[in-house]
Amino acid sequence: MSFVPKTAPFSGKINAVTLGTGDNAIVIGGQNVLPFYTFDAPIENAPKIGVEVSDLASQWDYAGLKDFYAGCATMADYAKKAETIEGCDFICLNFVGADPNGANRSVADCVADAKAVAEAVTKPIVVMGSKNMEKDGELLPALAEALAGKNVLFMSAKNENYKTVGASVALANGQKLGAETADDINLAKQLNIMLKGLNVNPECVVMDIGTAAVGYGYEYAASTFDRIRLAALQQSDADLQMPILAAVCNDTWGVKESSATEEDEPDWGCREERAISMEVATAAADLTGGADAVVLRHPASVATIKKFIAELV
Amino acid sequence: MALKGLDIFKLSPKKNCKECGSPTCMAFCMKVAQGAVELSKCPYFSEEALATLNSATAPLMKTITVGDYKLGGETVLFRHEKTLVNKNLFAVSVCTCMDDATVDAKLAEVQKVDYERIGERMYVEFVQVANNQNDPAVYAKLVEKAAATGRALVLECWDVECAKAALAVSGKNVILDGATPENYEAMSELAKSAGVALGVWAENISDLYDTVKKLEAAGNTNLVLDVTGKTAKETLANAVNVRRTALKQEDRTFGYPSIVNVAKIAKGDDRLQTALAAMFVEKYGSIIVMSNMSYAQALPLYGLRQNIFTDPQKPMKVEAKIYPINGADENAPVALTVDFALTYFLVSGELERSGQPVNLVITDASGMSVLTAWAAGKLSSSTIKKTFEELDIANKIKNRTLIIPGKVAVMKGEIQEKLPEWNVVVGPLEAVQLPKYIKDKEYEAAAKAAAAENAAKAAAGAKEEVKELSFDELLATKVPAIEVVDMGVKYGGHNPEAKTFVTIGERIHCIAPAIRKAMDERDPAPILERAAAQIKAGATYLDVNIGPAEKDGPERMMWAVKLLQENFNNVPLALDTANMRAIEAGIKVYNRENGKPIVNSADAGSRIGYIDLAAANDAICIALCSADGIAKDNEERMMHCDNMLERGLGLGMSSDDLWFDPLFLVVKGMQDKQMEVLEAIKMFSDKGLKSTGGLSNNSNGAPKDVRPIMDSTLVAMCMMQGLTSAIVNPNDRRLMETIKSCDIFKNHVLYSDSYLDL
Repeated sequence: MSFVPKTAPFSGKINAVTLGTGDNAIVIGGQNVLPFYTFDAPIENAPKIGVEVSDLASQWDYAGLKDFYAGCATMADYAKKAETIEGCDFICLNFVGADPNGANRSVADCVADAKAVAEAVTKPIVVMGSKNMEKDGELLPALAEALAGKNVLFMSAKNENYKTVGASVALANGQKLGAETADDINLAKQLNIMLKGLNVNPECVVMDIGTAAVGYGYEYAASTFDRIRLAALQQSDADLQMPILAAVCNDTWGVKESSATEEDEPDWGCREERAISMEVATAAADLTGGADAVVLRHPASVATIKKFIAELV
Repeated sequence: MALKGLDIFKLSPKKNCKECGSPTCMAFCMKVAQGAVELSKCPYFSEEALATLNSATAPLMKTITVGDYKLGGETVLFRHEKTLVNKNLFAVSVCTCMDDATVDAKLAEVQKVDYERIGERMYVEFVQVANNQNDPAVYAKLVEKAAATGRALVLECWDVECAKAALAVSGKNVILDGATPENYEAMSELAKSAGVALGVWAENISDLYDTVKKLEAAGNTNLVLDVTGKTAKETLANAVNVRRTALKQEDRTFGYPSIVNVAKIAKGDDRLQTALAAMFVEKYGSIIVMSNMSYAQALPLYGLRQNIFTDPQKPMKVEAKIYPINGADENAPVALTVDFALTYFLVSGELERSGQPVNLVITDASGMSVLTAWAAGKLSSSTIKKTFEELDIANKIKNRTLIIPGKVAVMKGEIQEKLPEWNVVVGPLEAVQLPKYIKDKEYEAAAKAAAAENAAKAAAGAKEEVKELSFDELLATKVPAIEVVDMGVKYGGHNPEAKTFVTIGERIHCIAPAIRKAMDERDPAPILERAAAQIKAGATYLDVNIGPAEKDGPERMMWAVKLLQENFNNVPLALDTANMRAIEAGIKVYNRENGKPIVNSADAGSRIGYIDLAAANDAICIALCSADGIAKDNEERMMHCDNMLERGLGLGMSSDDLWFDPLFLVVKGMQDKQMEVLEAIKMFSDKGLKSTGGLSNNSNGAPKDVRPIMDSTLVAMCMMQGLTSAIVNPNDRRLMETIKSCDIFKNHVLYSDSYLDL
């Protein structure tokens, strides 16, 4: 052969983080190449897919989604159903309903839901808080305690509350900890350093570096992905070698392409298909950039991204 | 790409004959590499060596043109390294294997997706026409049909006869994707004689490489590489390896744009196709072929493409117009913001969340965010008035409530004056507060109050005509007398001929609320206080930023100039505002004892006129080497530099009076561009030009205790490169001591043990 491509595996490596316990545990991260660059070196662990189970799931107003979850009333019901989706690697509980500016569900209710889900499912669990800094300072520690021993990943500690969240989630309860920043590579690194200073084991940290729906300032997300991965692999920057989780569903379902009705946008066609397409394209872009796990809402998105990953790894 | 001297030396005759005038071949090659001598001075380089050297300076990846479209030409693998140049284009595939009805339906569908998003037309640029029957007549008929859509074509056809028939009817906007290791000679001849680009495909990447080599040897370099493999995995490997080989290994054999046929590898799954296409938007697909393109697929893919191929140096802008939110009609209130795309998305999203009808009016602000635009004079009562007139808003909307961004609350009065029939209300500071603000109709009370005020004003009688006063009249009537106060500090004087570094103190700036208030009220105390502190700390010049000052700029600036100069021994000043007349007024009362006034600042874009202003008033002019947005590289910076230099010299300025600003960039965000800025300073210096800039911008957002360290380190590096001035905070002692020390090392000041105290 006249042309032999140069391979470029790196000396730096992404941390491998285990979620869940026993036979159902999964590992995210572990590779020493750019996403899907199997021609450079084998990918240690294929990226994983989480299915969103929200405490506001009853408000999801899409026929296909409604059909799929027909008869589900509690988060445990939804989680059990979600677990059956081909391609679901973990369940992602989204306690967005606990937001004091929204439904303001009580911490006790959320804890009860989480416990019921943990009883009902066997797959690993990731927890997303209310997005309200104050409430999460209360909610996440309570959930971390309630789910002790399950090796759950909690999203997330932020620059403003990492001490409370980090201490309770990772130090007191031995769970995995998410470190969340918004398209800011310098802050992403700084937060990891601060968590290390708090004595949180870096091998227990997963990053949420912020994403966006494609078309909505996604260039910032794309470059943050690229730069973080290159720093982790090329420069062996240990403070950026944490695997990355992208909560795709949080960004894509609210944008116009996914939510505009067919009456408002007659040219655009089926609303649910658009929403799936936005979720699929954003997830694919995130995975191409370096996400080691994505959280998706629609079963069709999960099936597609499962295929996408299988085709590439 | 610059060649190193040693690379040239390797190819040199190594005779050391001295005919070129250099003592050795090595010395000659070093000079060539620096551009000091032409390579042709040596008659002994072999033809081959010359060809190698010539091609070594050619771009690593060719730009291939198909009609109006450009493909390839990329210089980097990742968008953060440098701007990506040519966006991916999309194609939809039709095939001789389809029946007529299917083909017609597909071609009709291709033309349905056609819309605009943030100023860009989104549509399927190419139709790909696949041939799998090897019947020239059948294929030509299909190609003719596809060509009738007016779209450019990719002819995937490996049969020479079919290709010939197709080219006869296809028109010129065509890529003949037909060369393989078996047929490349005939196909290449065909493509060349038709004057179209040739697509090359092979079973594996090694064969592809060999075939390209052979085509190049046969003189065809108008190529596109079809990197589609048997699987998605293989296709990604090909796409990455081809691009990486060209740009990283600098092997130009693979320096061509690519075709990725996603339709072939997506196994008939439309959603998987969307996912794979999204990946190839990021990973090096120049043309992405799809089996179809519905709106559901187009919306995310074109959105992603628009983001990825955004020039990171240029802000994304949305069109200035009325955006009715939640079905707003003429009776809904108006909310106003700037045309920066992210601001628009944020604000429109939050307004949508409010569930209430609102007319969002986007005004032209050169794609800047609210505060930046205000500070730069791009968001002013005049620009807003212009938008209202151009969009004929008063006739389109009956509601008279106008909500302006909370961040520019200071503009309320001016806007109210320019738009007297509107009830101007100050909205919340942050977009996230909008849903509640709108839902609870918090603006209503304020709108009522504004309406009452407007009515009272109207009742008080028509406003008197304001006549523009001359500077002398203004000075006599509008500028308060200056009281000289002893601040315990005396300005020590400045010799404009001295080589020492010139510091321009940045602390008198309207973005500081205390200064803004003092300027508004003509209250000397806060301004004198900051001036005294800066002078005491050793500032050479003081910058005076009076804000956009649309209304009373001239008298404001005259007052500020007189205030500072009369109190501080004619301290030299940099006059800083978007109001040009104010600068002119300031210069009228300016005393030149300690140096010329500085006009802050001109750029190579919309502020080019500031050079004329400086020239007309014998002032120094800071010349920002950017036009609209940050220059993408030093080539662009130097182009702006040359343009402004030429303009200034043409107007009779001395080159010493143009101080070029490379535009210092923030480390948190543009860390990888810092060395480029330093190199730009060296280039100014090599041309014998003076330079300056807002150096402390580098450490924006860094912790307070870290900033002085970053600033002083950078200033030392910059002074090594030849920087002659900087706009800084003189109260930063570490920085000032570093500057003084650098002036010692540069031999600008004679050393003494107490040099820091001087």
